[in-house]
Amino acid sequence: MSNVNAVTFTIVVVLFLVVTGVGFAAVRWRRAEDKLHLNEWGLGGRGFGTFVTWFMLGGDVYTAYTYIAVPALIFGSGSIGFFAVSYTIMVYPIIIIFLPRLWSISRVHNYITPADFIRGRYGSRGLSLAAAFTGILSLMPYIALQLVGIQAVITVMGVGTSSNNTFVKDLPLFIAFLVLATFTYTSGLRAPALISFIKDGLVYVMVLVAVLYIPTRLGGWGHIFGNAEAHFTAINPVTKKPNGTFIPTPKVTGSTQLDFATLALGSAVALFLYPHTITGTLASKRRSVVKRNISLLPIYSILLGLIALLGYMALADKPTVANVKKADNPQLAVPYLFQHMFSSWFAGVAFAAIIIGALVPAAIMAIAAANLFTRNIFTEFFKPDASSRLQTRVSRWASLAVKLGALVFAVELPHTFAINLQLLGGVWILQIGPMLIGGLFTRWFDRYALLTGWLVGMAFGTIAAYKSASPTVSHWASSSDIELGHTVYIGLSALILNLVIVVILTVIFRAAKVPQGADETLPHQYTADPADLPAPAPAGIGLGAAGAAGDLP
Amino acid sequence: MTQPPVQPRSSSGSKSPIAAHPVTSAVIAVLVTACIAGTLIVPIYARTTPKIGDFPFFYFYLLAYMPVVAIVLWIVIQLQKRLEPPGGQPANPGEVAK
Repeated sequence: MSNVNAVTFTIVVVLFLVVTGVGFAAVRWRRAEDKLHLNEWGLGGRGFGTFVTWFMLGGDVYTAYTYIAVPALIFGSGSIGFFAVSYTIMVYPIIIIFLPRLWSISRVHNYITPADFIRGRYGSRGLSLAAAFTGILSLMPYIALQLVGIQAVITVMGVGTSSNNTFVKDLPLFIAFLVLATFTYTSGLRAPALISFIKDGLVYVMVLVAVLYIPTRLGGWGHIFGNAEAHFTAINPVTKKPNGTFIPTPKVTGSTQLDFATLALGSAVALFLYPHTITGTLASKRRSVVKRNISLLPIYSILLGLIALLGYMALADKPTVANVKKADNPQLAVPYLFQHMFSSWFAGVAFAAIIIGALVPAAIMAIAAANLFTRNIFTEFFKPDASSRLQTRVSRWASLAVKLGALVFAVELPHTFAINLQLLGGVWILQIGPMLIGGLFTRWFDRYALLTGWLVGMAFGTIAAYKSASPTVSHWASSSDIELGHTVYIGLSALILNLVIVVILTVIFRAAKVPQGADETLPHQYTADPADLPAPAPAGIGLGAAGAAGDLP
Repeated sequence: MTQPPVQPRSSSGSKSPIAAHPVTSAVIAVLVTACIAGTLIVPIYARTTPKIGDFPFFYFYLLAYMPVVAIVLWIVIQLQKRLEPPGGQPANPGEVAK
């Protein structure tokens, strides 16, 4: 604790305490009649308007991925990291196609999780279990990424790095983690929704100051880009290859343009398959709120574009480059840049923004995963008559368990580029795309075909990601691999394989007249816009008599 | 897989809104596809020149494209309102199952 800057440290602690207070007080915000109903704890009462939804989805989508992982990749590899900018542009025209339909059908049938919808649409508990399992699994590395982000800031602040004992070394991380877990437990989705106002405010201030001020200290944008171009086109004496790419190349072998495009497309399709973004969507009160937000959220993407450029700024700042090299951890690039460029007090504000910016989505992710466990595993398979109060209690405990699982991911997987944690989550969550997005438009797909396709996609994606090696790490090194001579994002190639199997098997099963299972949804419900809250469904998934016959495939 | 960019507002009775407004539906489809294609097709913008200010074209393009998408999506949402029946009433008013 010797080289801790007292001013920076104090500001971070004070802001952290403010946020903690807000998190606990949030339980009183828009107080519910029955706060133990899962619609309340897990979806904040399903009554958020355009304004709150905008802040909350913004707080939910833009995470430590944005502030730490993307600039780190750009700092280390150059233009390929800009796929994240392309991805956050592409995501909104993609979700305008299916997200309003998901909101409507979930509102009409009181679905809380995406797996609830799959259960109702296909009358299949097995398929719903597959979706729930995938959702929980894919959120683990994503939450872990938030922890890695917090850790990066704490490391640069110089808090607790002197000890060799893992527990003592990571003590500040554990404290932040514990606080997060407790206020999520008490306040549910209301806590991150309220905190996201503070978070977004801090982040906007941090980014605007950073992009206006830092370039003046580094000799302007011309020098920042010039330096990056020189660095990434230079040949590395060890590997005999360029250090990176300044502009994606169209070369036949190892085209980074195709890698760039598939990473962007895969991530864009994946984003609103993740349970936590769906939770944020379902918490809004009207269909028009969802639509309006789709056209308002790209404002945040501009922010992401600017934050991404922090990677090049860090590369143009010699002390930052030296520090990162010494620590051998590119995730530290942005925190070191801030520490060197800003006065101590503003560095404190910026660090707090990053920490809080990681805590908000981590809380929403834990809630989403907990809802999945409670609704689609616990109630579905173990206690079909669980009351809503019991469901909420189970969800609270499950949210704690999920966070512990994420800690394991944070410790076990290599951190060369934390962005791989998010991309790995994407490989998995993309595999529920055919059943979820497909199911919103058509009932043609066969449920057994969907299950088989999912299984193959999951297996292929996991094995391909596991086998991916780099000179420094033997497994889980990257999320792209080479298919038919082209470098592509594993998530997308697995999804294509998944889809092909689904289509072929559906044709076969349809011809063989395999029973299709009950569908409790009606076509017009996909565009409905009910203003009233769905009637509370006290037990189970609220399936009608027809759906209850849904058997396990 | 997300390619059909139309909003198939399934018919609850006689005529689907897409069939009723073929031009509006086609415009929506084209706009949404263009939004995606403009960033998915990387060769369009993967070059250094022309530089805009100090920004190489690749970086400028990505930053400038975002506000464009926001505006186009706003137009799409306005157009979608036309697909709804007149009178400000949503096609399927407040109905909640069970």
